[in-house]
Amino acid sequence: MVAEKIKTKQKSTVKIPEMKYNIEKTPDSDRVTQFLNIFAAILKESNYRAALDQYTKVSAKCARCTTVCHVYHATQDVRDIPCYRSELLLSVYRRYFSFEGSLYARIFGGFELTEEHISKMQYSFWNCTACRKCLLECPSGIDHGLITHLTRYILSEMKLTPRALVISTREQLFGLTENTSAIPLIALKNSIEFLEEELFEAFGVNIKFPLDVEDAEYIFFAPVSDYLMEAETLMGIATVLHTAGVSWTIGSKYFDAINYGLFYSDLVLGRVLNKMEEEVKRLRAKKVLIGECGHATRSATFLKTFWHGDDNPEIVNILQLTHKLVMEGKIKIDPDKIKEKVTYHDPCNIARQNWIVKEPREILKSFCRNYVEMYPGGADNYCCGGGSGLVSIDEIRKYRTTIAGQKKAEQIQQTGAHYIVAPCANCKKQIRETLTDNNLDGELIGLHDLILKAIVIKGAKQDG
Amino acid sequence: MDSLLEFAKGPLFRFSFAVMILGLIRVFILSLINGFEAKSKAKDKVIPKNFVTKLTLGFILPIRAFRVKPVYSFISILFHIGLLLTPILLFDHALLFDNSIGFSWLNISLSGTIASNLTLFTISAGILLIILRISDKKSRFISRKQDFLWPLLLLVPFITGYVCGNVVISPLTYKTFLTIHILSGDLIFILIPLTKIAHCVLLPISQWITARAWKFVPEAGENIEKILGKEGQKL
Repeated sequence: MVAEKIKTKQKSTVKIPEMKYNIEKTPDSDRVTQFLNIFAAILKESNYRAALDQYTKVSAKCARCTTVCHVYHATQDVRDIPCYRSELLLSVYRRYFSFEGSLYARIFGGFELTEEHISKMQYSFWNCTACRKCLLECPSGIDHGLITHLTRYILSEMKLTPRALVISTREQLFGLTENTSAIPLIALKNSIEFLEEELFEAFGVNIKFPLDVEDAEYIFFAPVSDYLMEAETLMGIATVLHTAGVSWTIGSKYFDAINYGLFYSDLVLGRVLNKMEEEVKRLRAKKVLIGECGHATRSATFLKTFWHGDDNPEIVNILQLTHKLVMEGKIKIDPDKIKEKVTYHDPCNIARQNWIVKEPREILKSFCRNYVEMYPGGADNYCCGGGSGLVSIDEIRKYRTTIAGQKKAEQIQQTGAHYIVAPCANCKKQIRETLTDNNLDGELIGLHDLILKAIVIKGAKQDG
Repeated sequence: MDSLLEFAKGPLFRFSFAVMILGLIRVFILSLINGFEAKSKAKDKVIPKNFVTKLTLGFILPIRAFRVKPVYSFISILFHIGLLLTPILLFDHALLFDNSIGFSWLNISLSGTIASNLTLFTISAGILLIILRISDKKSRFISRKQDFLWPLLLLVPFITGYVCGNVVISPLTYKTFLTIHILSGDLIFILIPLTKIAHCVLLPISQWITARAWKFVPEAGENIEKILGKEGQKL
């Protein structure tokens, strides 16, 4: 009903909320030359040329991508067609960096990069949430998410990146706290102590968040905002690991899994991962365990690329580990505790390539009697609307929750579920705000928050 | 007219056919080189093979085509089948190849009736595709000149070929149509490797190239900073 209302509202209105994010300052030099110089440097050093060369030759402009783009569905604005957006960059590549294109331009003229074109790219590529759903429908095999990533990288070198992301990344790389939420170590310790007390109060059991344990099996990196906003998720994770007797630790020198580099800069991606590498090496942990977060998990897989040496550790997402523990019977979850209807939202970064899709479902089905699928789900899921860093840009909240998040709101409404499980820090914030802004029913929750409500702990108080 | 016809089906045909074959080999090899170069520069060389294979075969076969836009997909597939089968398997074409390059497939070529019907299907599908491209605001908006011109150009040899093979016309008109038929065919051959039709050989490696491009070069980010003179700068 409500979903229909939103749909009708969107279709009948032409007014789309402003999608203009703030940047730190407007660069004053010749932006066209700057853009081309950066593009040239990136093409020289990176692997993007292979893709761009291929895409400029095969793009058939069939418009199939429009059928699955949640942003285009909501805006119905032709400028939001993924293939159109990608063409903004491909046209620059073709004209200035391909043999055929530059030859053609010399003889017949045609496209020239202008200030206006750069402005167009600047905003257009941040309308895309880089969910990569359109890749599944492109017969030419064009990955618009890759083009979005690359264009944002070029723009970031021109300082045309949303300020919210730059400030967080700067704190993470060069600040005193070395994390995106600027949480000082003392605050982290307080937060952990508080969570341990809460767990003791609830279960009468000492469940620890081990700090700086050397030679542990797993070193745990949570999206650091969880320490501020997702206490239940962290308590759930600690309880699962405690119950199964897993050897794990949090590093005190570096404990943030968030990596905005995946969204806008390979330079940032590598630098953040090098910090992670230092901490893994310092504590001699065997494996890297990433908390409930899609982008953090996918970006951590790039550790294999940026790790110095060949002894890079295995990357494990907490869903994979918990799934293994549930299947091995090392943790028990009471199937009578959760009676409400539960549904699951797949974070794009772990689901799109069918990577972590069955694990969370098998965990949920093991203790939720009233589990319903969201349609479409799994690899075909729709983005929450806050993907690729958009969720961290507060000034575009209205755009995110009413435009980019509209499809997700409809999907959630269709399930009629009470609990919407989203094991991702980005998706959690975005879906919560979408539910609020659209006056929708349902409670957004992490997977381990739900497990915490039903897990069976040896020696726990009866009413735990 | 006669000399033009002889030129079109003789030297020009051989030239344009060679341009097409060599051009397609060139773009395919260049893409392969790009892909392997990306592989050698990347430290992590493992790509999601199942995902790549699923999407590649899904569109070549085309298993995934009907997930969205089923009508468009059906017409498009029909058009592609007609485009591939008719020119290659038609008896007269096999004969042309036999005369020109001394190699052909006369024994498996299509009979006149099947070829005529297939030609009609292809023409109808082509016209429908043009109508769909023009009538849909999304397709119209993203289309370049070549996206409108290609189906039109492709229809020229099909229409003229159908007329020559099935309609009773005067010898002069027949020769005119035949000349246009062969000339347009020659033009198509030359343009194939230079335009989006190169997808006929590039498509099977598109997903592989994408997967390769996602495998980054470890030192690229820092090297780019050096090239741009931003070494040591904070963000």
